Amino acid sequence: MSDAKVEGPTGSTRVPLFVPENLPADVKKENEYGTLTSKEHLHQTKSLNGKPMEPPIMDTPPYYISLITYLNYLIVIIFGHMHDFLGMTFQKDSHQDVMEKDGWAPWYSKFESFFSRRMKKKIDDCFSRPTTGVPGRFIRCIDRISHEENKYFTYPGTTSMCLNLSSYNYLGFAQSEGQCTTTALQSVDKYGIHSGGPRTQIGTTDLHLDAERLIASFLGKQDAVIFSMGYGTNANFFNAFLDSKCLVISDELNHASIRTGVRLSGAAVRTFAHNDMVGLEKLIREQIVLGQPKTNRPWKKILICVEGLYSMEGTLCSLPEVVELKKKYKCYLFVDEAHSVGAMGPTGRGVCDLFGVDPNDVDFLMGTLTKSFGAAGGYIASNKWVIDRLRLDLTTSNYAEPTPAPVLAQIIASLKTIKGELAPGEGKERLQRIAFNSRYLRLGLQRLGFIVYGAPDSPVIPLLLYCPTKMPAFSRMMLQRKIAVVVVAYPATPLIESRVRFCVSSSLTKDDLDYLLRHVSEIGDMLFLKASSGAASVPQDGRPPRWDVEDVIARTAEDCKNDNFFLT
Amino acid sequence: MPHIPEVLPKSIPIPSFIVTTFSYVWFYLYPVLSRIPGGDFLIHYVRKSHQDDPYRTFVEIVLILYGIYYYLSKPQQKKGLQSNKPNLSPQEVDDLIEEWQPEPIVDPTVMDLQRWRLDAIPVIDGTGVNNRINIFQNGKKHENVLNLSSNNFLHLSQTPRVQDVARSVIKNYGVGACGPAGFYGNQDVHYNLEYRLSDFFGTESAVLYGQDFCTSASVIPAFTKRGDLLVADEKVSLAVQNALQLSRSTVYYYEHNNMESLEAILSELVESEKKENLPAISRKFIVTEGIFQNTGDIPPLPQLFELKNKYKFRLFVDETLSLGVLGKSGRGLTEYFGLPRKESIDITVGSMAHAFGSSGAFVLGDAVMSHHQRIGSYAYCFSASLPPYTARSVDEVLRILEEDNSSVTKLQKFSKLLHNEFLTDAKLPKYLEITSSPLSPILHLRLTPEFRYRKFGYSAEDLFCETMHQQKLVATTRYIEPYEQEERFLQKIVDRLLVESGLLITRNIIVVRQESLPFLPSLKICVNSGLQESDIVESCKSIKQVLVETCSE
Repeated sequence: MSDAKVEGPTGSTRVPLFVPENLPADVKKENEYGTLTSKEHLHQTKSLNGKPMEPPIMDTPPYYISLITYLNYLIVIIFGHMHDFLGMTFQKDSHQDVMEKDGWAPWYSKFESFFSRRMKKKIDDCFSRPTTGVPGRFIRCIDRISHEENKYFTYPGTTSMCLNLSSYNYLGFAQSEGQCTTTALQSVDKYGIHSGGPRTQIGTTDLHLDAERLIASFLGKQDAVIFSMGYGTNANFFNAFLDSKCLVISDELNHASIRTGVRLSGAAVRTFAHNDMVGLEKLIREQIVLGQPKTNRPWKKILICVEGLYSMEGTLCSLPEVVELKKKYKCYLFVDEAHSVGAMGPTGRGVCDLFGVDPNDVDFLMGTLTKSFGAAGGYIASNKWVIDRLRLDLTTSNYAEPTPAPVLAQIIASLKTIKGELAPGEGKERLQRIAFNSRYLRLGLQRLGFIVYGAPDSPVIPLLLYCPTKMPAFSRMMLQRKIAVVVVAYPATPLIESRVRFCVSSSLTKDDLDYLLRHVSEIGDMLFLKASSGAASVPQDGRPPRWDVEDVIARTAEDCKNDNFFLT
Repeated sequence: MPHIPEVLPKSIPIPSFIVTTFSYVWFYLYPVLSRIPGGDFLIHYVRKSHQDDPYRTFVEIVLILYGIYYYLSKPQQKKGLQSNKPNLSPQEVDDLIEEWQPEPIVDPTVMDLQRWRLDAIPVIDGTGVNNRINIFQNGKKHENVLNLSSNNFLHLSQTPRVQDVARSVIKNYGVGACGPAGFYGNQDVHYNLEYRLSDFFGTESAVLYGQDFCTSASVIPAFTKRGDLLVADEKVSLAVQNALQLSRSTVYYYEHNNMESLEAILSELVESEKKENLPAISRKFIVTEGIFQNTGDIPPLPQLFELKNKYKFRLFVDETLSLGVLGKSGRGLTEYFGLPRKESIDITVGSMAHAFGSSGAFVLGDAVMSHHQRIGSYAYCFSASLPPYTARSVDEVLRILEEDNSSVTKLQKFSKLLHNEFLTDAKLPKYLEITSSPLSPILHLRLTPEFRYRKFGYSAEDLFCETMHQQKLVATTRYIEPYEQEERFLQKIVDRLLVESGLLITRNIIVVRQESLPFLPSLKICVNSGLQESDIVESCKSIKQVLVETCSE
C-alpha cells in the first residue's frame, strides 16, 4: 500500500481524485510496459494457411465438483429467498427499492433483481474496483473498505500497485510515454478534444479519413468506417441493411452488442451451438428451404454472425469452414474481431491473418479500437460500395458523436507501430511478446493442473473455478497478493462455469507471469482448483498433470513455443 | 405350489385375478429386491405404505407406468412458426438451395441518385469546432469559412484551461481506459465526474456512458419489460425511437407538446389499468426531449410534472441538447422552468458531446435507479469506459460553469439574436417557417407547407404515408423522389452560402430508412458563445438574402 496525494477529503464514501505521482521517467515507463528480459521470450505466430483448427478440447471437472456447484447455488438461492421474505416482512425500510410505494411501481421487481441483490451484491467488492493512472503492466487500484456486506465503501486515500491481468491492453499500448501519447498530445493542439457534431454534418476531419484509410489497408479491405464506441458499433449497425425479411444466423455465444443490434434491425435470428459447423450447415440448408415464417417466401439475405475470438471462452471461430459454408450457400458473413484484431495472427491482423483466409471472403470485418490499440471505439471494414451506402444509412454516422481527435491519433500511431511504419521493430516485438506470454501462461496453468479453456494463441485465458463462492475467494486472495484479475459468472457464462479470466498483455515480462503462476498455484491448492482430468493436455504416464510450480517455470518457456504441447 | 402371500386385504372387493397377479409379481420381485443394494429399504417402504393405504400402491404403480410411457413416447413437435415443413426429397432440397438468390448485401439501386449526399459531407481540415475553419467539399477547398453548424454551444472546450487539463490527463493516464466499468475500467476521474455531474445538476447520482446516441436506447430497456407503458411525444429523436423499440413495452404517442392529448391518453391508460386489476402495478413512463432534435422547441415541463404526479407516471427526458444551454446557469430544462430536477424528472439523459465539448453521455437520477443501470444497462455493462481525458475535461468545463456562467448568458443572448433576425424578416414567412424556440442555439428552418406543395408537390402527411407504406412492405429501397428533391434544394442553399458568403450551415440530416415517426427536411443554423455579435448579424443577412433568392427562383 502506498500513500498518495489526494484532492479532496479521504475516508468518505466517494472515490478521491488522486494527484499523479511524480515518478522518474524510466520507472514510470517500466511500470507501464516491462522491458523484455530475454530474446527467448518471444514467439512468432505462423499462419495456418487456410487450414481449419481442430476445436479445442473442453476439459470437464469431476462429477462431485458439478454437484457441489449446484448445491452451492441452491444454498445461496434458498437463503436469498428467506432473506427476501424476512426482509420484506420485518425490515420494510431497507427493502424500499423492490416494493410498490403509493401507486408507483418499483424500478425493478423483486424477482428481476434477485440475482443482483442477493448474489452479486455479496461479492460486489470483487467488481468495479476503482483505479487510477495508466492500466498498463501494473494497475494502481484504489483501496476501499467494505461496510455492511458491500452496502457502501469508504476510501482511506491509499492505493495498491497490482500486476494487471484484467485490462484489455493486449499489445501494451496503454502508456503515457512513447509515440502514441506524443501523437495524441499533438492532436490536442491542432484538433482540440471535441468534434462538433455528427460525421455527416460537421464531424468529419482529415484525421478521420486518415484513420479509416489506415484501418482499411491494415485489414486488407477497400474501405472502413469508424465509430466512437465499440458497443455502439454493433448495436446500431445491423439496422442499416437488415430488415424483418432477412435472417441472421448467430453463434450462441455472440456478444450482447450483436444481439441488441440484430434485435433493433427486426431481422429473424436462429442460433447454432458454439462453433458447431455441422449444425451451422444444417441450419443454413434448412432455412433456405423453409424461408420466412408463415409465408415461406425465401429470405432476402442471410447473414452469418460470428466472433473472431470469444471473450469469455478464449476460443476462435473456425473461420476457414465458415467461409466455405458462406460461399457454398451464398450467405453473407460478419466477423466481430473485438478481441482478436491486433492481438492475434502473425502480423496482428486478427483471425483472417491467423487462419490465412483472404479478408475479402469476409463481408464485414468489425472490431474495436479499445483493446489492442489502447484507444476507444470500433470500426467496420468492407468493400467500398458497401461502406458508401452504409455511411448514408447508418444511424451512428448521421446522429451520433464522432471519434474525438486524441483517440484517432492514438489509433493511427498504434496502427502504424504494428505495421512497422513508426518505431520500426517495436510493433513486431509487441506481437511476438503477446504470443509468447499467452502460450506460456496457458501451458503453465495447464501443467499446474487447472482447467483452462481456449485456443493456444488466445490472449484471453479463462481458468475455471466452478463454485460461485470460489470467485470472491480467488479474487480477494489475488488482490492481497497484488494481482488484479477479473472473475465472471452466470449470466456471462453457463451457470456452473464460473471462471477467472486472465487477459494477457505484451507489457508483461516472463518474471511477472512467473510471479502470477506461483501465486495461482498456491491459491489453486488452497481452493482445490487443480481439477483437470488430463483430457486437454498432452498425456504423461496416464495421470492428470499436477506439476510442481518450479518445474513449470523452468521448462515451459521453451515448451510453449512448440505446438505439440497443446492438444487441439 | 408354494404359499402365495396375500397382497391385498380382503375387506376391499377386488377381482381375484388382480389379486393373484399382484401376489405373483410381489412373490418373484421380493427375492430380486432383497438382493440389490438398498432393496431392503424399498421392500420396507412398499410394505409400510401398503399396510397403511392399499390404494396408494395402485396409484403409485399407475404413476410409474405412466412415467415409463411418457419417457418412451416420442417428443411432441414444437409448434413454431416454421413447423409446416414441406416433405421434400434430397434432390428437391438441393435444387431449392441452388435456386436461392439473395439480395445484394446493401441496396445499390439508388446509390447513383443519392451520391450527392456523400459528396456534400464537408471534410474539415483541423477541427470542426473552431469558428473559422478550412473545409474541403466536392473536391474544392474553402478557406476561412464561418462555422455555423457545430454543436459546441458553450465554446469552453477550446479554452487553454480545459485543453491543458486534457493534456495532463493523457500524460498521466494514457488515452484509453482499456476495460469496461465493471472490470477496472472506471478510474478515479470517472467517479469524480459522476459526483460532479450529480452535484451540479442536483440529483442523487449520475452514470457515465460512452456515446450519446446509445444511451437512451440502453437506459429505457433496462427498466421496462412486456406490459409496461410508455407514452412518448410524437416528435422524439431517433435515439429515443430506438429506445422505445427495444423497450418491449406498449408505446403510445401523444401530439407534439400537446398536454391535452397527453392527459387524454394518461387518464385512459390509468382507467383501463384499474379495470384489469393486475397483481402488480406496471412501470409507466412519459418520454420526451429537452430541446427536440428535429424541431428545436421545448416541452412544457411544469404541466408534464403535474400530469406525471397526477397519474403516477415517471418522466424520462432526453436532454442531449438542452443541458448547458437552458436555464440561467446551464442546468437545463428544470432550471429554466424553476423546478428542482430531483423531483421533476426521474431519468435525464445528457450528452457531453454537445454543450460540454467533450465526448460521451450520462444519465442523471436517483441512487437506486443509477445503481440498477450498472447491472442492467447494456451500453454501460458491455462497453469500455470513456477515455479518462474526456471525463476530466468535462469535469473542468463544469468547474468553469460553476465559477462563471457568462458563456451560458452569452449563448442565450446569441440564440435570441439569431431567432430575432429571422423572425422579424418580412419576406421569409412566404417560403420558410421557424420551428425552434428562441432559446435553442440551433435554429430550424423548414419550407412552409404551401411552398413545399407548390414546389415539390407533396405534404408532410404524404411523406409520412409513403414512409409508413414502405415500412409495411419492408421495402429494401427507401427512396422518395419529392423528398429527395427538397433535400437537394436545401443542399443547394447550403452550397451557395458556402461559395458566395463563406458560411457553413447544414441540413438536419435524417435517415429515411430508420425513422418511424413523422419528419420533414430542415436547415440548421447553430450559434455558440465564442462567436462575435457582428458575425452573427452579418451572416444572418447573407443567409436571408440567399434563402429568399433561392426560394423565389
